[in-house]
Amino acid sequence: MSTMKLEIVTPHGEIFNGDVKSATFPGAEGEFGVLPEHASLVSLLDAGVIEIEKADGGVESIVIDSGYVKVDEEKTLVVVEGAVPIVGENESEIAQAIKEAKELVQKASNSDFAIANVEARVESAAKTRF
Amino acid sequence: MANLKEIKLQINSVKGTQKTTRAMKLVSQAKLKRAEELAKRSRVYAQKLDELVSEIAYEINTSKVGGSDSRFVQADLPVRTVDIIVVTADKGLCGGFNITTLKTTLRMLREYKEKKVAVRLRVVGRKAIDFLKYNGIEMVDEVIGLSASPDYKQAAEFMDKSLMDFAEGKTDRVILIYNGFKNMLTQEQRVLQLLPVDISTVEAKELKSNIEYEPEEQEALLNTLLRKYCEYSMYYGLIDSLAAEHSARMQAMDNATKNASERVNELTIAYNKARQESITTELIEIISGMEALK
Repeated sequence: MSTMKLEIVTPHGEIFNGDVKSATFPGAEGEFGVLPEHASLVSLLDAGVIEIEKADGGVESIVIDSGYVKVDEEKTLVVVEGAVPIVGENESEIAQAIKEAKELVQKASNSDFAIANVEARVESAAKTRF
Repeated sequence: MANLKEIKLQINSVKGTQKTTRAMKLVSQAKLKRAEELAKRSRVYAQKLDELVSEIAYEINTSKVGGSDSRFVQADLPVRTVDIIVVTADKGLCGGFNITTLKTTLRMLREYKEKKVAVRLRVVGRKAIDFLKYNGIEMVDEVIGLSASPDYKQAAEFMDKSLMDFAEGKTDRVILIYNGFKNMLTQEQRVLQLLPVDISTVEAKELKSNIEYEPEEQEALLNTLLRKYCEYSMYYGLIDSLAAEHSARMQAMDNATKNASERVNELTIAYNKARQESITTELIEIISGMEALK
C-alpha cells in the first residue's frame, strides 16, 4: 500500500512528520479521511482528534484545537494552533497526555458535544493501546 | 598626591562599570539562547503557514475563483493610508539595534509624505515610543512590554486592530518594520508588507488538481487563513526582534567590557607613572635637603 507524507506543525514546533497510510481529520464540516493520492483540498479544522495510521501499521492519535489542513496528492500539511499527541511509555504518561488534551479542547471549543466526543475518543484510543 | 588618588578612583569606577557590562552580557547570552530556541521552533510553523497561504493565494490568483476580489490579496490597491507597525525593544544599551529601525521608519515616513500618503504609526516598544514622541510624531497605538515578552494572544489582538481597519477600508496597506535576528553577530532590518498579501512573488507551483475547499465559502476560509497569517507574522516578528535585541545587546556589552578593560590598562599606566613621579620628586627633595646641610 502506498503512503503519503504527513506534517503537523504548531507554533511550538513540529508534532509529527512522517509517512502514513491514512489519516482522519476533524474538519469543520465533518470528519473526513485522507488516503494517498487524495485530490487537493483545503479545510478548516475544528477541535478534535487526528487519527493516523502510520506506514509501519502503528496508530497514533493527536488531539488538536483548531487549524487548517492542506491535502494534495503527495503531501498533507496540517497547521494547527495547539496539539497534544496521545503517546507515552506507560499508563501514567498517557494519563498525563489525556489530561493535557482535555484541557486543550476545553479551552478551544465551547460546544459540550465536541468536548465529550473528543474525550470519549481519546479514552478509547488510549485503551486500545494498553 | 591628589592626582594619584583621583586616578585610583577613576580606575575603581571603570572597573565597576565593567562588572555591570559583563553581567549584562551574560544575562543577554542566556536570554538569547531562550529566544533563539523559541524562534527556531516557531520558524517551522511560520514557513508552513507561508507555504499554505501562498499556495492558496496562487491558486486563487490564477483561476480567479471566488476570493480573488478580496481586499486582502489585491496588490494593485490605490494607496491612500498606510499602517506602519514598528517594533523595537523596551530597553536600550544594545548598540544600533533600535536606532536602525527608527531610521528606516523615518525614511519611510518621508517617502510616503512625498507621495502624499497618510501614515498611521502603530508602535511596539518603549524606545520607539519615546523617540517618536520626542520628535513630535503622532502615533495611533503604543504598546509597552510586548516586545520584551512576546505573547501570541496580545500580538494577535494588536494585529487584529490593523486587520479590521484594513478590512473596512480605513487603510490600504499594512507594513511591519523590525530588526530581525540573522546570526549571533548581525541583525537584519526587515520591512514586510503584511497586507495586502503580495502574491506576485509567490512561486508558481503547478497543482495536479484544483483545490477543493471546505467550508465551501472560499472567501471566509481565505480570510480566516490570512488573518492567522498576519497575526502569526506579527508574533514571529516579535520573537525574531527579541532574539535580535539580545544578540545586539550581547555584542554591545561585550564591546563595552573590552573598552573598559582597555581603559583600566591605560589608567593603571598613568597611575604608575604618577606614582614614580612622586617618588622621584620626594627623593630629589631629600637629596637636595641633604646637600644643603653639608
